[in-house]
Amino acid sequence: MKWRHLNRVLHRDLGFLCCGLTLIYAISGVAVNHVDSWNPSYRLTRIESNIGSLNKVPQQQLIPEILQRVGETRKLKNVFPSAPDEITVFVEGNTIKVNLLSGETVQDRYVPRGFLYEMNFLHLNHPKKIWTWVADLYAVGLFILAVTGVFILRGKQGLIGRGGVLTTAGFLLPIFFLWLYL
Amino acid sequence: MRTILITFSLLICFVITSHAGVEGVYGKGITLSEVTPISKINDHPEKYVGQRVLVEGMILEVCTSRGCWIYLSSDRPYEKMRVKVTDGEIVFPVAASGHTARVEGVVQEMRRSKQDVIDWKKHLAEEKGTTFDPSTVTGPEITYRLRGLGAIIN
Repeated sequence: MKWRHLNRVLHRDLGFLCCGLTLIYAISGVAVNHVDSWNPSYRLTRIESNIGSLNKVPQQQLIPEILQRVGETRKLKNVFPSAPDEITVFVEGNTIKVNLLSGETVQDRYVPRGFLYEMNFLHLNHPKKIWTWVADLYAVGLFILAVTGVFILRGKQGLIGRGGVLTTAGFLLPIFFLWLYL
Repeated sequence: MRTILITFSLLICFVITSHAGVEGVYGKGITLSEVTPISKINDHPEKYVGQRVLVEGMILEVCTSRGCWIYLSSDRPYEKMRVKVTDGEIVFPVAASGHTARVEGVVQEMRRSKQDVIDWKKHLAEEKGTTFDPSTVTGPEITYRLRGLGAIIN
């Protein structure tokens, strides 16, 4: 039948077209799903040390001195006096909190995870703007893929046979968990 | 095949060499134009409960697990304000710390029993990977925060 041929062509071409985005959403989906156990976008490291008292360092020398003592050379973003004797220095990829009297220092370093950062960036729709439409179109593509997919095979392998059993199982799975948790 | 390999290699190179910035609009963005100083809210927070306000400050800290809260610096030294957003609706990136931001939202009062305070502070400590001593909590607490609806990070 003609519509079956059209269905097959549509399913095949949409499958190719959606391949890249499906991989992105699948990988990022797993990463974001386990957000309680790790940060899926950044690799975080905390370093606690003592860089010595900065009590006698002149005000204008303070920030360069802190950066030099912790061996930080990256671009300075901002500075915040978090308490009378405490200062927080923000540089690209690092937040340095220093007690000026004791020299106790806590560095919270972060490095974007290669690939995952970008995948999550798209998956969580950080770009917004036109990407929202691309993601919506992709969702429509997935919908069409699902619908055309169930009509690819006929007979015992199709909806009235094995395919029907698997499709029903696929619908029952979310229904079961809704019954379990709701 | 060669075209596919070249395209894929170029894509990988692009991804490796480019990192998207944190600047931009988050959530529903900003609709108010007048900024309410955080110090003013901190002085009499009960007056602002339920009010929609626009605040401005430096992002001091970001939730490292879900990006669901930030601390914003006040216009007065050593002060800050906690901004909580709905999980997943807005996700503040860790790299936003040190950037300035404008956040619009509704001021909320949080009344917690002693046990709730202990549970909450324990949860915060776990998120930060630090330790928490429950004996430091002496009783119930009332805190104020901004329920963030939209933000612009510069």
